[in-house]
Amino acid sequence: MKPDMADETALVAQLATGDRAAFECVYRKHNASMLRICEGMIRNRATAEEVVQDSWVAVLNGIGRFEGRSSLAGWIFAILVNKARSRAQRDGRMISFESDGEEDGLAAAFDGRGRWKDMPDLWETITPDRIVEGRNMLAHVAAAIDALPASQRSVLILRGQQDLDPSEVCAILNISEGNMRVLLHRARLSVRNSLDAILAGSRS
Amino acid sequence: MLSCKEVAERASALIDGELGMFDLLQMRLHLAMCKGCSAFVRQMRITRDLTASAALLDDQRADEVDRRIAAILSRLPDGRHTGP
Repeated sequence: MKPDMADETALVAQLATGDRAAFECVYRKHNASMLRICEGMIRNRATAEEVVQDSWVAVLNGIGRFEGRSSLAGWIFAILVNKARSRAQRDGRMISFESDGEEDGLAAAFDGRGRWKDMPDLWETITPDRIVEGRNMLAHVAAAIDALPASQRSVLILRGQQDLDPSEVCAILNISEGNMRVLLHRARLSVRNSLDAILAGSRS
Repeated sequence: MLSCKEVAERASALIDGELGMFDLLQMRLHLAMCKGCSAFVRQMRITRDLTASAALLDDQRADEVDRRIAAILSRLPDGRHTGP
C-alpha cells in the first residue's frame, strides 16, 4: 500500500459526506489540468468548461462507487476524458491518443552520423522566475504545453504534472506504455525547443 | 557506442530512471565523453522540472473558484455540499 492511500481513503469519505472544504481541495488540485486536457481535445474553451463542470458533477454524484482500484486522481481524469471523448464524438470528431506519427522535434538536429550539428547550450542562466519577452519561464512553459497536440499535451499533464502512474495514464488515454513514453518524450522535446529558442533570442 | 542521436532519443527514459542496466551503462559512457549530450540531458531535466512547477501557476482567484464550485454544487440532486 502506498503511504498516501490512507489519506486518500479519508478524503474520499469526506467527499462522500459532502464536505465542501475537501471538495475545494480536490478541485484546486485538478481543475486547471482538467481544463487544459479537455480544451486540447475539444478545441473550444466554453465547451471545455462545460465538460469539466459536468465531470465534477459526475465525480461527486459517483463518489460512492469509487473503490480505490485506481488513484482518486486517475478516476477523476478517466471520467473527464470519457466525457470529453463523447462530447467530441457528438460534434462529429473521433479522438485518438495514438502517437501522431510526426517526427520528433530533433529531426534536423543531427548530421548523417548522428552527431549534433550545433552543440546544445548549457542553459546556465535559466531560472523559473527569469523574465524573458515579458513573462517568466514558467509562463513560457505553460504556453508551450498549450501549443502541443492533444495526445502529447494529455500525457505531459497527467504524467509530468499530475504525477499519475504510467499504467493509469495508459488506461485513461487507451494507449500502450511504449506509446506513452514516445508521447512524453516528444512533448518534452517541444517544450525544450521553445525554451531554447526563447533563451537564444535573449542572448543575441 | 551510442550516437548523440541515440542518446537524445533515450534522454527521457534516462531522467525518468527507466533504463535497464546495459542501456544505462552505455548512456553514462557516452555522457562522460560528450559535452553536447551532457548539456542536452541537463536541458531535458530542467524542462521536466519546469513543467512540474508550471502546474502550480494555475492558482486561480479565490472568488472565481468559489463561483465555480457553487455552480457545481448547485447541480447535485440532494443538496449535499452545503456545509462550511
